[in-house]
Amino acid sequence: MSDEGPSIRHIGAVERVSERFYTGLWSILVRWMRVPQDPPNLPASPGDEVIAIHPSHGFLRYLKLWFWIAAVSIDLVLLVLWIVLLVAVPWLGIVLAPLWWGVMLVPDIVAYIAIHLRYDTTWYVLSPRSMRLRRGIWTIKEITLTYENIQNVRVSQGPVERYYGIAKLQVETAGAGAAGPHGTSVANVGIVEGIDNAEELRDMLMARVRASRSTGLGDELHEHEGHRHAGEMWTQAHVDALRQIRDLVVAAQ
Amino acid sequence: MDGLDEPSSSFDPRTITRPDEKLMTYYIIVSVFTIFGFPFVLLALFIRYKTLRYRIDDEGVSMSVGLLFKKEVLLTYRRIQDIHVERNIIHRWLGLAKVSLQTASGASGAEMTLEGILEPEQLRDFLYTKMRGARGEQATPIAEGHVPPADEALQLLHEIRDAMAANQAGGAA
Repeated sequence: MSDEGPSIRHIGAVERVSERFYTGLWSILVRWMRVPQDPPNLPASPGDEVIAIHPSHGFLRYLKLWFWIAAVSIDLVLLVLWIVLLVAVPWLGIVLAPLWWGVMLVPDIVAYIAIHLRYDTTWYVLSPRSMRLRRGIWTIKEITLTYENIQNVRVSQGPVERYYGIAKLQVETAGAGAAGPHGTSVANVGIVEGIDNAEELRDMLMARVRASRSTGLGDELHEHEGHRHAGEMWTQAHVDALRQIRDLVVAAQ
Repeated sequence: MDGLDEPSSSFDPRTITRPDEKLMTYYIIVSVFTIFGFPFVLLALFIRYKTLRYRIDDEGVSMSVGLLFKKEVLLTYRRIQDIHVERNIIHRWLGLAKVSLQTASGASGAEMTLEGILEPEQLRDFLYTKMRGARGEQATPIAEGHVPPADEALQLLHEIRDAMAANQAGGAA
């Protein structure tokens, strides 16, 4: 089990205020938007360990890095434009200042909160046989798949992700793939992004896929079944041995 | 090999034969959002709501929909690849969910979408326990040194034969 609750850590006064704000926002989400707070429940056999985790904290820092890059570059352009306006037409610059600064800052605040919400609403629930992944705030999507049905496992990591020690793991089943953004297929893919033990998870999943004797396409375990049936069948040798026993019994009488 | 928690006894997936009434409320809200298309969309969705039928039995799930153009989808539990549960904000307000099932066909999108489900968690867990790999039938490789039953039977028969032969030889002597 990873840490639960809001992802903002309290350090100083600003953090305390933002944490309180964030906690309030969460209660609104939970109460009015019916966002579930607990991780999805995954049924498991007794003795099987089920873990429910958020992405790694590195993923939060990774998202924030991109946020800062985008926010600073857009705001710098807007700031330069505003200063130009202020110099060229001073009164208009002053009149427009609240609006202008609002346009600059409000989307940043919204995006920053959205990053935290995205992090806190993403759950990866893993059992020894299956995984259940949840993501989304407006539309909450949950996918459940068993390792038995896995076709391939993909791990991808960019340089920035490597710096934060995180990677993205994609598990594909033979399920129908709907076209997602950038022409990728999404519906049949379990995406576990921003985790710090992707290699470990990959090895575990691939070990399961290798151990499986089926193709994960709904086929029964023909080999296994066949072997069992063959084991129950009597061969000529058995019949011969039985005949000999019968003859011995007859002779004994 | 069982031991999986059975879904709660009060929930019987076989009783799900129709979407819940709240689905119509959802359809009305959705059609309102289309503004100009409202009457047409509402009519189409109303027909869909009225004709949606689900059947969940021991073997699989089937669904049929349509009045003029009928559509029926049937699938077995063993062929389910993954289960999706989707709830947007309107769904959540109404307490509904959409459960999609995927098989390994080449279709772009879920083979079957069960709309208007009131107990998505229970239905999903029911389907999950029926899915391949959920119960770990795979995880029992034949142990080292384990003798197949036929070989063991043969060995036993040989022993019986030898013992009887020895008895007979002893009796005759």
